[in-house]
This record gives sequence, C-alpha cells and structure tokens, in this order.
Amino acid sequence: MRLMLGGRLALLGLGGFAVLASGAAAGLWAQAWDVPVGRPYMSPGTAAWLGTDALGYDLFAQVVQGARVSLVAGVGGAAGAVAVGGLLGAWAGLRGGWTDRLLSGATDAFAAVPPVVALLAMALALGPGVATVVVAIAVTQWTGVFRAARAEGQRLRVADYYRAAEAMGAGALHQIGWHVVPALRPVLLSALVVLFAHAVKVEALLAYLGASAPELPSWGKLLARSGSELARGVWWPTVAASAPLALLVLCAQVLADSSARRPE
Amino acid sequence: MSARPASIPWPAVLRRLVVAVASLALVAVLVFLTFEWLADPAALRLGRGASPEARESLRVAMGLDRSFGTRLLEHVARAITFDFGASQARGAPAGPLMLQALGPTLAYALPGWLLGTAAAVNGGLAAARRRAVDRALSGLSTAVLSTSSVIVVVLAQHVLAHRLGWFPVLGWPLAGADKSPLAYVMLPALVWALLQWGPDVRHYRAVFERELAAPHLDGLRARGVPERRIAGHVLRAAVGPVVARIGQRISHVVVGSVVIEELFNIPGLGALLVAAIHEADAALVQAIAVATAAVTIAGQALCDAVVWWIDPRVRRRDVN
Repeated sequence: MRLMLGGRLALLGLGGFAVLASGAAAGLWAQAWDVPVGRPYMSPGTAAWLGTDALGYDLFAQVVQGARVSLVAGVGGAAGAVAVGGLLGAWAGLRGGWTDRLLSGATDAFAAVPPVVALLAMALALGPGVATVVVAIAVTQWTGVFRAARAEGQRLRVADYYRAAEAMGAGALHQIGWHVVPALRPVLLSALVVLFAHAVKVEALLAYLGASAPELPSWGKLLARSGSELARGVWWPTVAASAPLALLVLCAQVLADSSARRPE
Repeated sequence: MSARPASIPWPAVLRRLVVAVASLALVAVLVFLTFEWLADPAALRLGRGASPEARESLRVAMGLDRSFGTRLLEHVARAITFDFGASQARGAPAGPLMLQALGPTLAYALPGWLLGTAAAVNGGLAAARRRAVDRALSGLSTAVLSTSSVIVVVLAQHVLAHRLGWFPVLGWPLAGADKSPLAYVMLPALVWALLQWGPDVRHYRAVFERELAAPHLDGLRARGVPERRIAGHVLRAAVGPVVARIGQRISHVVVGSVVIEELFNIPGLGALLVAAIHEADAALVQAIAVATAAVTIAGQALCDAVVWWIDPRVRRRDVN
C-alpha cells in the first residue's frame, strides 16, 4: 500500500504508541503507576513529568500504561469485527439466494440495536475487563464490515474471471486464495483502520463508565475523574489523558483517510 | 413530482412489515441470549458475594429452572408486544420508566440533531464545491473525529459553562432552577450537534461530490442555468443518501448520549441506561434495547418511504 506523507507520519505515530505500550507491558518503563510518588495534585515538573493525581500517583506512568489497554482494545476489537463481518459478508455475497437473505436480515436486525445499548448490555453480561471490551466492540461493529464485504462478494460472484475459474473446476480453496481474499483485501484493510480508531474511542467510553479493565490504568478512567478536577483548577489530569487519546485516534484517522484516498 | 400519482407498492410494504416483526423478534432473542445465556440473571442480581444456595433459590423464584426453549419463547413473545415486566432495581414497570426518561433526552438530542444535520449538509455541499472550504472543513472534521466524546463534553462544559459562564454548568429544569429551561438544553444540544457534525459532514461531502460530477449538471451549466439553481438540482438528486443518513441518526437521538447526560446531569434515557447497567437491571436494559430497536426500524421504514415519495428514480426502480 503506497501512502502519502500524512499516512506515513500516522503509521509512524501508531508504531510509537505500540513501542510505548509493549515496553510498558514488558516492564521496561513506567512501572511506578500504582505506588504514590509524591503529594496529591503535584503540578507537572521534574519530579513527575505530567504531575500527580488525587492519590499522588504519577500521571505519566499511568498514561503510558494506559496505552496498553487502548491498543489491545483497538486492535482486538477491530480485528474481531473485521473477521466476523468479513467472513459472513463474503459468504452472503458469494452464495446469494437464501443464505444472503437470511444473513442480511439478521445483520439488519443486529444493526437496529443502538451500539451504546449493545455495548453496555455486553459489559453487564460479561463483567468488566479488557476481554469484555474487545468482545463488545467486535460484536457491535461488525455490521458495517458485513455490508462492505457482501457488496464486494456480490461483485465478485458475477465477475468473468471468477466464473471462468469456476467453470474450469476451481476448488473452493483456490477461489478463496486467488480471488476472494485479494478482492476483499482493500475493503477489509480500510475497515480495520477505521474500526481501530473507533474502537479506541469506544474503549475510552467504556472505561469512563467503569466497564473496562479494572486492574490497569486507562485513559478513559483518567478522564472520568478529570471533569471535577478541572473545575477546581487541576488541569493536568485532563491534558494527560486526552492528549494521547486524541493523538492515537488522529493517527488512525489520518492513516484511514490516506489509505482510502490512494490511487486506484 | 410526476403528474400521475404512483400507487403504493403494497407487496413491498407487507414484506417490510414481516421483516420488521422478524427483526424485532431477533433483537429480543439477542437480548435474551445476552442476559440469560452469557450471564446468569440470578448472579447478576445478587452480586458476586452471594452463596450458591441463595442463588439457586432466586433462580427458582425467577422461573429460571424451566427449560431454555420455554423461557426463550416466552421472552420473545413478551418483548415483541412491548411487555417488558418490572424493573428489578426500581420495582416499577420498565416501559413507563423508559418513556419518562425519553423526554429529557429528546429535549436536547432533537435540536442537536437538527442543528448538526443542517450544518453537515451545508458544510458537505460547500466542501464539495470549493477546495479551500473543503480543506478547512475536513481538517475540522478530522479533529472532531479524533477527539473522544468524553473529551469534547468535558472541555465544552469547562470552557463554555465554567470559565465563560455562557451556559449553566449542569442541571435540569425539573430541579427547581432559576434559569429558563432553554438555557439548560442549549449547551448539550450544541455539543451533540458538533459530535454528529464530525462524521456526517464527510459523508455528505462524498455524496455531493458524486452528485456534482453528474453529466446532467454540465448540460444545465451549458444552458446558462445559475449555480444557485444547480445547487437545488444537486440537493434533490442527493435526497436518497442524505435521508438514509438522517434515518441512521434516529436511533442515536432516541438513546441520547450517555456522556452528555452523565456530565450535564440530565435525567434522560442514556443516564437511565447507565444506571440500569450499574444496578444490573436486566428488564430495564431489555426494554431500552427492544424499544430503541423498534424506533430504529420504524425510522428506517419512514426514511425509505420519504425517499420513495421524493425520488421518482426509486419509484421507477432505476436506482435501488
């Protein structure tokens, strides 16, 4: 995939976040997130780069650790949604007939439930946790991918080269490997990036509502407290939580845009 | 409009009705699976520390010891007739509780929806026609899209209400306030409009870009038709995708924004939903899910009807 400058920069940014998160997960840095490092509400300075929160915990370490949850939820949720939507959509589009009608009808019914309701219902049923967030995002976001993959499958079904291969006795595996996957790849890749941006935001929302990982710090959880702190003049928790969140989603968004706009 | 009024395609309408009922039943099945198969309702209600005996006796009392199929059928039959039973945490029937919360939600979401849609349609049209406008608006839209709704609401509340004092910080007219009800609705509606505008303006821009490239517009321009009237032609041709998008937004309007309602302390449906989740109130969540799904399906049907009525190409099946 050839990208323009913005897209490359965005990819670089996403890579940076990935390095940050995997280093934090591996225990290389930002380990002092669950022990007090100073007084409560210390403003940003040399002692704590981004200041401390209400309990005197280092905000910088929490923010770096928070990247873990956001990235896992983003990648996992987007991959799950693309896998489910892509498979079902391609199947419906390629088979047509009653398979298509039933699957499309089920998808429409699924899409009729407002995402917020489905997300929170899943969170209630599964209990808080990163796995819940990933499943909830995948379950609520696959319908859009389904439609895109189905349209692509329908186009493929009547394409000459596909039918010619079929007439020559090509097996299902050959068709999938040579025709279906290459035809679907651009659609699914762009869906993956768009859903990643969306999933990161959804994770923040769920964390804000207390449905995300209870044992790890996350940006949404920091934001949930920051509103009332902001009113008292404590601005740094808000900045510490919202700047990386906005930057991560911005990277994904720019990447999605530049990959969607690439020349045919 | 064509001179001959088109007759309503009754078979298609009937098919839509059957599909609508089937969809609603499927939504009810999904809700049932979430609450009675993924999770144990008795455990949800008693919390984590409950003893197995207490859980078992509650299961019997709630009728959960009956067969899975019986419960599923009963649940779906009740849900598609909009009988949701009583809210476990509040004791009152879930339906009226939900309707009560719908008022405050619509009070800010409906104006916000109208404002956001108007701004996004106009912005999309302007962006599709002028390059400079396009640059500015797509940058702004990317910024809005990249900012989590939590951040937008926190910042808007802090800057516009707290610091500048243009709006009341939070509250709702029912709580015996001194300001007019309009003041409380304004900022949530503005935030709603902004959040909706971000993704919508890109959608409308793409729609209008496609319509502006249509060859019949070159024909009009060649005859010297002024740009203002050409915009009218573009708008009419774009009715289908625009109305479809507006229809998609109906379900959002009905649920409201969880974040806006939490932070502005609005007793709406989103806030009720969050409360129901925290109280593990399955009946209330079911009621909200099924009712909003019904509104979504009805809204979609309404939009299709509007497009069918306005766009003669749809009536003649030139485009689907």
